[in-house]
Amino acid sequence: MRYRRPALDWLSHGLLLLCVVAFCLPVWMALTASTHTQTALYTGTAPLWFGGEGLSNFIGVLTAPMDRLGASAARLLWNSTVMALGIAVGKIAISILAAYAIVFFRFPLRRTCFWLIFITLMLPIEVRIMPTYKVAADLNLLNSYIGLILPLIASATATFLFRQFYLTVPNELLEAARVDGAGPWRFLRDILLPLSKTNIAALFVIMFLYGWNQYLWPLLITTDDHYLTTVVSLKRISAASDELIPWQEVMATTLLAMLPPVAVIVVLQRFFVKGLVDSEK
Amino acid sequence: MATLKLTALEKTYPNGHRALHGIDLEIDDGEMVVVVGPSGCGKSTLLRCLAGLETISSGELAIAGQRVNELEPAARDIAMVFQNYALYPHMSVADNMGYALKNRGVPKPERRRRVAETASLLGLEALLERKPGQLSGGQRQRVAMGRAIVREPRVFLFDEPLSNLDAALRVQMRLEIRRLQKRLGITSVYVTHDQVEAMTLADRLVIMNGGRIEQVGTPLELYARPRTRFVAGFIGSPAMNFLEARVKDGEIIVGDGSVLAPAADIQGSIAVGIRPEHLRVVDAGEADLTARVEMLEPLGADTLAYCRVSGLSLPLVIRLDGGAALAEGQTLAVKLPLSRLHLFDLDSGERLPWHSPETSIV
Repeated sequence: MRYRRPALDWLSHGLLLLCVVAFCLPVWMALTASTHTQTALYTGTAPLWFGGEGLSNFIGVLTAPMDRLGASAARLLWNSTVMALGIAVGKIAISILAAYAIVFFRFPLRRTCFWLIFITLMLPIEVRIMPTYKVAADLNLLNSYIGLILPLIASATATFLFRQFYLTVPNELLEAARVDGAGPWRFLRDILLPLSKTNIAALFVIMFLYGWNQYLWPLLITTDDHYLTTVVSLKRISAASDELIPWQEVMATTLLAMLPPVAVIVVLQRFFVKGLVDSEK
Repeated sequence: MATLKLTALEKTYPNGHRALHGIDLEIDDGEMVVVVGPSGCGKSTLLRCLAGLETISSGELAIAGQRVNELEPAARDIAMVFQNYALYPHMSVADNMGYALKNRGVPKPERRRRVAETASLLGLEALLERKPGQLSGGQRQRVAMGRAIVREPRVFLFDEPLSNLDAALRVQMRLEIRRLQKRLGITSVYVTHDQVEAMTLADRLVIMNGGRIEQVGTPLELYARPRTRFVAGFIGSPAMNFLEARVKDGEIIVGDGSVLAPAADIQGSIAVGIRPEHLRVVDAGEADLTARVEMLEPLGADTLAYCRVSGLSLPLVIRLDGGAALAEGQTLAVKLPLSRLHLFDLDSGERLPWHSPETSIV
């Protein structure tokens, strides 16, 4: 805005504040609710301030298996982390290799391969869930980490992103590397990967969140509580038909479920910015 | 250090475009050969074939007497300096220079020593820890040179390495490249489109046109006796003047009918070439042509006069002393010294054998 108008400033700041409140209020409610006893939550109005049970609630869900779950929050978080990490790392590794092959190697049907990968964008897990389940079952992948990760690991988006980035890498860089005696593997490791650091960081954030938030696939492929993930469990502990829902546990687990994604964003965002400021390309 | 031998080297691209039509060339050990030509003449393709970045369609390339057609670039023991430097942006200057050595499995202490040596040769000691992004154009150029030198290759290949620099820096780097090449004595092939760069750097010049070699020789040979009209027009700045002429009754007639010289065994229409610096302004009585000055370009030491001569379609460029008192619109009496004339066939562009009477008398 070029000219100052105090009234407009007040208005815009007011709107911004309203949005901040709208975003923060649910988190705040979860935070305060997680510090009360179940009785306190069911008698009287929803509390907007802390109760006295904070620490014990959190320790409780982390250490002891919860009702109807047979797993503690620590277990849930571990499972989710393994799955999200596996999906993020796997997606990045596979799409880097796929994009590398498509951009830097001349082979028959190269273009066709690219478009085949690209149209898998139209086949998310929800569309192919029956056949994928059948394949996973035949391969004995039910109730295993591999079963949770493997079917979600191919990513057309990431392949496309890396392809677009690789296309911008000047050809002379590849030629200089060839003259310097770097074979395909060394070129990838020594030159391409360091140059795609920022892309990898950005994708990792997105893919980790994608993996963390998976609901339908883990619900289907795991029946053993040992492999239960956080997002699936939240639905289960808050869906009781004939007894009181332990809201304090639900809220504590919800808050815990938010922590790893937030941590990933906070840590990698720094990377991100550094990569942007350095501007190595 | 090695000799380079190209025998009937051809390159045809998969789309059928034929970039090189049989190149024959021998390069001596330690020689600096500059390949020059207009864009699209195949000079870069030739260099890339030498480097191994393009496959050779037919013919043979030998380094130190050994056929290398099928070898990978790294196995040919060559080093290349690219036009845009192609430095690895994420590596420090030292890592950039040492990368080829690392790939060859040279142990770290030796790597460090050789990088340090090369850096001191090029005055890069203070920059070793920097990234390419933090360097100026001239410094990047120097690092690219260093990356080539540090490997101690048998052959240096330069692909228009100075074209991204500003004019002053280009002159300075040109001298530096020449000095380094002489000192290291490594066989070098240098590709450029800039004929001044070519003349100043070359032991021998290779002029290319349309995928063929037009002429090979020392810069002064090419300047004095260009074999074709193309070479004559390409070498020398400002470019040679070409006058339409015809030979009638054994005499060369230019423009509106000025008789230049006798020409016994030539027939029909020809082109007479004369360099701007060889034209002389004389008294009206001795003149071969009368030229009207259309435009002047004072360059300080010299002044270039662009003149119109009646009967000639192209303007005549005369290089005059910078102190000469001239005005646009003035007429000049111009003499063409016979010993400085070059005659070319109008169709083929080939040089016509002709001994000027001036030299033959002497």
